Amino acid sequence: MMSNSEIIKEKLIHKGAEASLYYGHWFNKEVFFKYRIPKKYRLEELDKKIRTMRTIIESRALITVKNFGLNVPQVYEIDTKNSIIVMKYIKGEKLKDILNSLNDNKKQEYFKKIGRDIALLHKNGHIHGDITTSNIIITQNEDIFLIDFGLHEYSDTIEDKSVDLHLFKRVLISSHGKDYEFCFKAFLEGYKSEYDKEDLNVYNMIIKNITAIETRGRYVKSEERL
Amino acid sequence: MCQIRELVLGIESTAHTFSVGIIDFEGKVHSLVNDIYIPEKGGLHPILVRENHLNNFMNTIIKALTEARISIKDINLIAFSQSPGLGPVLKIGALVTRMLSQILKIPIVGVNHCIAHIEIGRLMCNIKDPLTLYVSGGNTIVSAFESSRYQIFGETLDLAIGNMIDSFARDAGLSHPGGPKIEELAQKSNKYLPLPYVVKGMDLSFSGIYTAAKRFIESEDFNKKYNLNDVANSLQETAFAMLTEVTERALAHTEKTEVLLTGGVAANKKLQQMIEYISKEHNARFEVVPLKYAGDNGAMIGWTGILRYNSIGGHDISETIINPKERMDQITVPWRI
Repeated sequence: MMSNSEIIKEKLIHKGAEASLYYGHWFNKEVFFKYRIPKKYRLEELDKKIRTMRTIIESRALITVKNFGLNVPQVYEIDTKNSIIVMKYIKGEKLKDILNSLNDNKKQEYFKKIGRDIALLHKNGHIHGDITTSNIIITQNEDIFLIDFGLHEYSDTIEDKSVDLHLFKRVLISSHGKDYEFCFKAFLEGYKSEYDKEDLNVYNMIIKNITAIETRGRYVKSEERL
Repeated sequence: MCQIRELVLGIESTAHTFSVGIIDFEGKVHSLVNDIYIPEKGGLHPILVRENHLNNFMNTIIKALTEARISIKDINLIAFSQSPGLGPVLKIGALVTRMLSQILKIPIVGVNHCIAHIEIGRLMCNIKDPLTLYVSGGNTIVSAFESSRYQIFGETLDLAIGNMIDSFARDAGLSHPGGPKIEELAQKSNKYLPLPYVVKGMDLSFSGIYTAAKRFIESEDFNKKYNLNDVANSLQETAFAMLTEVTERALAHTEKTEVLLTGGVAANKKLQQMIEYISKEHNARFEVVPLKYAGDNGAMIGWTGILRYNSIGGHDISETIINPKERMDQITVPWRI
């Protein structure tokens, strides 16, 4: 794919629905190659556009949000033609895979921190777009990395922020049912702590709007029904 | 419970279809009769649909009994669609079922319509634990069974896919049902006009596609630079690619080994091909529910009624109030625990 002889793609680490992640070396640095695979079920024209756009969106987002002090992979090189992002190698595990083995204190600590990270994103007008426990990496020194910014958006609206949180809430319910209440509570505590006193009404509007999204027909809960 | 052949009468009444299915406890369908309301113009008006079903339910039931060559007295259990759907329409099914249950002194079971779609698919396709893409006029859901429920992994945030296609078809002057006509027109085009591709995590939004497609046919360029075939093709390609992407995401996430496609829109060949493609990519078995049982039908209600009855029994009459907005992930599924 890349012609440069200094670049070596060595091992397929993970094959996701959208992209394949390879481990390798780039000018003697340990790196990941994130390769967005062509999807043959889509029209070529549409597919190319989606892959190129998401590669650009993700790289831009990774570079920008680093400025707020968030832990995200460092981008080294972008190849939009082949939809490849070369980024710094991070050794860690998906939160999804280790959640069950954590004690309550750790869970609370991690989810609070994640809440603060997402609040930082939101306050700066960034929407992650796909917050799941698969897209959160915990490293050996317990740093929390947010990854997979392919569905990132620039937005400062209450609606988009609420949708972002709502999607995460749904992932917790469907994949981590028994931990959901405890973890989401800790997450919201962390999220709230990033909002100053004068911004608390913004926080309240975002949270209130999650309920509004849930009551939009498809999400109505029995106890809220008349 | 001591007869040789136990039969259930299933009544589907959530939207335009009033359907009666007679199915036995082994899963053999003895008859299935649909009465489908087609509006003269516009979409489904709940009150008009209700009128139609009120006028026709009796004939539909008699026809189903006649086709199965049985008397109403041979029925051992009666099931109806209790949720979700159009309120006034759900009430007809509930009313008829309660009445028959009391007259015949047989147990009654209320069924969630969306769960019934998955259960009839599991029965007809002989599939155990699928990831299901359920696409119809009223629903767009990616679901799989996890921790005693049919969890919803992805769904539409606004319009259902079938509703979007039908609404666009209507604006384009095509008669009801619009889906098959759009499919036919799309086959005549290779041209792609860009439409909004909106995927949020595993959720989807179709309202932007609808508006943009409508603008294409209202534009001055329509029938000059492009025609209806091209818009139909672009609409299908975009909307189905979105559905396929979220299904693949859910498949990677849940690691299921079977994929089930159901609902009225499952009849679309293009969508079938796309979902089959990603199923193969993930080494999963792919099945489409046979057309007769993919759309709304009474057999699926009957079969789900049997599953529930065999596992924890029927409902008390006081528990048979309709539930127009009930989500499938609110209910535990006792027969699968």
